[in-house]
Amino acid sequence: MASDTDYDSDGMRGNGDGGLSEGNGRRRKHPFMTWRNNLRALVVDNARTCRIMESGLLDAYGVEVEAVGTGEAAVELIASGETFDLIVLEMFLPFMSGPETARTIREMGISCKILGIAPMYCEKDAQEFLAAGIDEFLEKPFTPELFIPFLMEIDNQK
Amino acid sequence: MDKNHLQRQLEMKRSLLDQGYLDEQFIQLEELEDGDNPNFVEETVTTFYANSARLLQNIEQALGSRPIDFTALDNCMHQFKSSSTSIGATRVKKECTLFMEYCEAANAEGCIRTFRQVKQEHASLKTKLENYFKLARQGGTSAGGHAGRS
Repeated sequence: MASDTDYDSDGMRGNGDGGLSEGNGRRRKHPFMTWRNNLRALVVDNARTCRIMESGLLDAYGVEVEAVGTGEAAVELIASGETFDLIVLEMFLPFMSGPETARTIREMGISCKILGIAPMYCEKDAQEFLAAGIDEFLEKPFTPELFIPFLMEIDNQK
Repeated sequence: MDKNHLQRQLEMKRSLLDQGYLDEQFIQLEELEDGDNPNFVEETVTTFYANSARLLQNIEQALGSRPIDFTALDNCMHQFKSSSTSIGATRVKKECTLFMEYCEAANAEGCIRTFRQVKQEHASLKTKLENYFKLARQGGTSAGGHAGRS
């Protein structure tokens, strides 16, 4: 049973509806934090509501965000030459799963920080996802307390 | 901005938090509202309900099929739980977790029973949030307290 409810199964990058932006170029005028460097993040989550929240939060904290709904779209974006400092990657993606996406991205030689996220913590899932190449496995909700330390680390290393 | 309206809005929100319908994630959502997106909260919640309605329909259909594909059901519920979590829908999230446990155990009866609760909590929260947003609009503010459409 394939659910195509809010999948961007054709890999389209949503621009939101009703004015909602999922990142994709939008920058908040007065972010809650500023960084020494320009930080870019890619959000990969098939649930539209989640993409909106994850993008919105990162944007609010001064990060430039692109958001896509499938692993395939993420790989395509990276293959086109787009670079990111951080990738936020949902585990349970349709078609190309989160672990498969992480593995593919790493095989492309991408070494940026990848945060794997899932609706609930499961040791088996965490091990699988970490083995596929993510740097950290986080249970949703995606909150500033979870991602700010990674942004600080990335900003300090750039 | 009517002070009484704002007070009532705050009380309604506090009540939703205290009764466990919503959690801190909803507050996070409100903090993302700004002048450029004064209706961000209501729009995000509207998106949630539009998308989750279709997901629930899919789950309903899957529960009606024989044999039940528990893996597909679990995948569907993962997405639904993710979305519910992202807007702070605590009670909905709890029922989703229970459903997923029954899914893992391939317990059809448990899934069917819990799904009724999922739908009930989903609908109940929708009504409460509609009232909350209506009050916010009447007061000339958005859910997050910004001057928005009335």
